[in-house]
Amino acid sequence: MKQRSLQIKALILIGLAVLAVIGYLTINVNPKYAAYAMELRVPKLLVMLVTAFCIGGASIVFQTLIQNKIVTPCLLGMNSLYALIHTAVVFFLGSSSLIARHPQLSFVVDLVIMGGAAILIYGTLFKKMKHQILYVLLAGTVMSTFFSSMQTTLTRIMDPNEYDALLGSLVASFSNVNSSLLLISTVLITGILVVLRRELKLLDVLALGKNQAVNLGVDVDKTNRRLLLGVTILIAIATALVGPISFLGLIIANLSRQLFQTYRHSWLIFGSALLGMIVLVGGQLAVEHLFAYSIPISVLITIGGGFYFLVLLLGKGRQQVW
Amino acid sequence: MVIQHLTKQYGRKRVVDEVSFEIPQGQVLSLIGPNGAGKSTVMGMISRLVAKDAGLIHFEGQDLTKWNSRELSKRLAILTQSNNIQMKLTVRELVSFGRFPYCQGRLQPEDQEKVDQALAYMELDAIADQFIDELSGGQRQRAMIAMVIAQDTDYILLDEPTNNLDIYHATKMMKIVRRLCDELGKTVILVLHEINYAAFYSDYICAFVEGRVAHFGTVQEVITKENLSEIYGVDFEIQQVEGRPLSIYY
Repeated sequence: MKQRSLQIKALILIGLAVLAVIGYLTINVNPKYAAYAMELRVPKLLVMLVTAFCIGGASIVFQTLIQNKIVTPCLLGMNSLYALIHTAVVFFLGSSSLIARHPQLSFVVDLVIMGGAAILIYGTLFKKMKHQILYVLLAGTVMSTFFSSMQTTLTRIMDPNEYDALLGSLVASFSNVNSSLLLISTVLITGILVVLRRELKLLDVLALGKNQAVNLGVDVDKTNRRLLLGVTILIAIATALVGPISFLGLIIANLSRQLFQTYRHSWLIFGSALLGMIVLVGGQLAVEHLFAYSIPISVLITIGGGFYFLVLLLGKGRQQVW
Repeated sequence: MVIQHLTKQYGRKRVVDEVSFEIPQGQVLSLIGPNGAGKSTVMGMISRLVAKDAGLIHFEGQDLTKWNSRELSKRLAILTQSNNIQMKLTVRELVSFGRFPYCQGRLQPEDQEKVDQALAYMELDAIADQFIDELSGGQRQRAMIAMVIAQDTDYILLDEPTNNLDIYHATKMMKIVRRLCDELGKTVILVLHEINYAAFYSDYICAFVEGRVAHFGTVQEVITKENLSEIYGVDFEIQQVEGRPLSIYY
């Protein structure tokens, strides 16, 4: 009976996602230029789907690792590191430099730096700190403040014209992504999923708490370390693809938890990814056709997410918080 | 299980200092002592939740740290005090987690059977489909015990199982402990604050003072006026009730 209701909810979500996709591909398309429109819209759509999967999945896993439902992977500091990298490139090399202009190169630079930072902070440091996950979070928060202060300093002494050019890349957007990046990202994501397939199956047990997980024979420290690293890299991929957008994770992960009301992470991750697709594709639809590109999608997400976050905090204050 | 020269240090302070004793098989052993005597830390090290600094724990002929974690979880189960599970989980789902070491989450018919048996044993059939966050403290504790029963281990470690329970539920919990040992043949090791529960429901008692084993032996050997005064620093009266030493303190 319970299984049944999960399946029905999942089907409804799939339906909504398909609807959003069809809407996004067909609204305002002149049949004469259909092929041209598809050429523009399909890559954007695929990027949104990949991003939604990365952020949705990573957020659920991250919340289970921290044992807290109201954390977002923003805490990992990847957003501010991304902003710092891009600002530094424009500041030191100029907005007309090769890295700033070349999307593939800039993607690779982002990924290498963010991946390196992830391995350093969430792989090595985690081990050094005796696997105290809260210390790592604290480290993440400090880093992210550190990165943003450096970034702010750079923008203050920057040439205003350069700053203008920079601003575009600091806001999440799906408009200027090309399909070669899509391919690299998909390969990387699949790789991560394959490497972590064992750990992902342990998520249900990890959610019982550290002591219970140890009791049931799980090597908690190692599993946490690998998963945390995987989460950070997934977030890094999504951020490198479209810009700082991981706040979305808070919304979709919690919607998924509220909707499915289950402990089984396969459902939660699935739901979170689908909800991400609905929010992103639907949001982009609104941005393009309702607001005629006057508002970027990240603004919509931040406003919506901010309200939802408050509702969660106020609502959960009276009930149990994780 | 044999424990030799077990030591744990936090900073400069030795909270567990060269502790050695042997856990008698198929019996109930209670670890007692004042706050900060190191009994919970010893329990933590026996259950591998806390890393030891020095010493050896021999379990079934092998060093505990050399055991494969999954194999060990089929032999030894631990229940700690902090069990605030915040997932939406029914009692039956919780108890099913006890089978995780055997089936890694994919319940086979024999696992289902063990789960049903554990639920029946703890009289949880009626509330098997309720969410655990809707249960009372006593019911939740029973559900946790059912999970440990489903785990089907020879050794069960319980860290202060009567904590936060009223007299009715605490007494019931101790009777369950006794049944686990007498009916199911488990070796049960408990950390207890209530001396009388320890005296009435266990076979052996190990008393800790300042990180050392002060006394180890059968209930009658350990629970004496002199020993308890020495351990707790308070005056005690001992009366024999039903062949057990009842201690009175005020």
